[in-house]
Amino acid sequence: MITPIIKTENLCFSYAKHKKDITSLDLEVPKGSVYGFLGPNGSGKTTTIRLLLGLLKKQEGEVFLFGDSFSKNRLKSLANIGALIEAPSLYEHLNARENLQVAARYRRNVPKGRIEEVLEVVKLDHTKKKKVKAFSLGMKQRLGLAISLLNKPELLILDEPTNGLDPKGIIEMRTLIKELNEQHGTTIFISSHLLSEIEKTCSHVGIIRNGEMLFQDTVKALKNSENGKLVVEIENDNVSLAQETLRELDIATDVIEEQLLSLTVNEKNEIPVLIDTLRDKEISIYQVKIKDNLEELFLTLTENQKS
Amino acid sequence: MSTLSFYWPSIKNEVVKLKRTFALWLSVISALFIPVIYFLYYLIKYEGLIPKDGENPWNRFISQQINNASPLLIPMFIVLVTSLVVQIEHKALGIKHLFTLPVPKWSVYFGKLIVVIGLVLFTYVLFTSLALLSGYIVGGIHGELQFWEFTPEIQRYLKLLFRSFTGVLGIIGLQFWLSFRIKNFIIPLGIGLVLFITGLIVFRAEESIYYPYAYSMLSLFSLRGEDVNALVWLPRVSIYSLGYFLVFSILGFLDIRRMNIK
Ligand SMILES: Nc1ncnc2c1ncn2[C@@H]1O[C@H](COP(=O)(O)OP(=O)(O)O)[C@@H](O)[C@H]1O
Ligand SMILES: [Mg+2]
Repeated sequence: MITPIIKTENLCFSYAKHKKDITSLDLEVPKGSVYGFLGPNGSGKTTTIRLLLGLLKKQEGEVFLFGDSFSKNRLKSLANIGALIEAPSLYEHLNARENLQVAARYRRNVPKGRIEEVLEVVKLDHTKKKKVKAFSLGMKQRLGLAISLLNKPELLILDEPTNGLDPKGIIEMRTLIKELNEQHGTTIFISSHLLSEIEKTCSHVGIIRNGEMLFQDTVKALKNSENGKLVVEIENDNVSLAQETLRELDIATDVIEEQLLSLTVNEKNEIPVLIDTLRDKEISIYQVKIKDNLEELFLTLTENQKS
Repeated sequence: MSTLSFYWPSIKNEVVKLKRTFALWLSVISALFIPVIYFLYYLIKYEGLIPKDGENPWNRFISQQINNASPLLIPMFIVLVTSLVVQIEHKALGIKHLFTLPVPKWSVYFGKLIVVIGLVLFTYVLFTSLALLSGYIVGGIHGELQFWEFTPEIQRYLKLLFRSFTGVLGIIGLQFWLSFRIKNFIIPLGIGLVLFITGLIVFRAEESIYYPYAYSMLSLFSLRGEDVNALVWLPRVSIYSLGYFLVFSILGFLDIRRMNIK
């Protein structure tokens, strides 16, 4: 097997003594992947990223970047990484170019034209002398992204990068991520609390909750892991009769709301049969909805499961 | 060579970051303050300030300005300006970025520290130039003040200023560490002011030679005659101050290097 770009073993960290914030986390991000790090707010995504980059001191475990122990190769590893953690680090009294110049000067080997290139990539080349103070949240986010792209990183780490972006910006971000990954082979580690985000852009996914990794595999495997079952919601005017009718068909149901039933079927063709049966009992059906299964799965994984 | 190749860009960046900031203005304003007051004082009250025959008017003019600026204003300026310069970084959420760049942490820490010291030095130089300039201008307006008949004894003033400058290095080291560690700008500022006011109270005690916040007073009017001698470039307080500076800077760096960046 090719060595993963990011690998952690038994990573542990707590901010305070009484509770663990990251528990025995084993990450594995393959080279060339777009890895979605998925988890609800407060689950430990940012903390993990800070641990990966050495901003927080891990209390146990080991971090390997590019196959080498991070603590022993800090500068060498960082030279190949671009990162955007939470809100971007920007000097608001300077303009976009000046901010990029500062970052480029630290990195020392950024070619001259690169600043204009990344400004174009994030569509900020028109901002001229405008100070960052006057930027919108989305523009700041994009400038932060531009800074992380300066060194053409092999590994790009983005912490909830679509925060503060408008729908158009979100789509552009997705396109950019795909492009970087496909055309430049950049490995991208991207955190999000939105499944839809990850589903659309990522090849791999790790799901974290309360600092623990719950699932880690390809997105494809995640989709297959529900073995084709569908969750269906039926809005009707007689929930109790509907429940009874369906019980006769050996289908278990849950009442979600006054007029809303939820049930699971094995395949799509069962749905019209169900509806015909209910209609025969003169139950009025207002709406039938197939739930987004992944969303359900994500919710069960992150919320319903008790540790 | 490779060490310097990290250090120069860091220093240059710190200077760029000062552009258009209040910290920079504060340095200019602080340097202006006393010379402007003395300029006005001599301009308006010149009749009572005309020197005796053969007396160099510069000595009183400059020494008084230094004596007025050094004990009180300079330490407060140091406390404030150090917090302000580091605050530029905190406000930008910059430390998490700097510490994930392929740049050693020491070059970031000492790069900024050097620029703080540079800014303080800049204020000293500006202050001296403005003090001299204001003398020449007011001397041009009121010839009887005789500023044009005598030459300022620059070396003597530089010596005083040098003693004052070395005397405050110790508190720069500590204030810089505090400001770097604590995001909230008010805290290092508050600590600095309290420590300094304590210095104002205790500086007459013999033991205050070990208390760096009293050095701005001690470097000019020491209790011991030997130190007050204007011929001494490096009195005892200056040497102690340099010692404190080294200790605080190194401890500060060792601490910051291991600090969790939240
Ligand atoms: N600076 C901090 N001090 C103390 N606890 C923190 C700090 N930052 C985060 N935490 C705690 O660590 C846990 C994980 O937070 P975080 O990594 O920010 O989650 P996420 O990025 O997934 O939203 C949360 O319980 C949060 O309250
Ligand atoms: Mg977060």
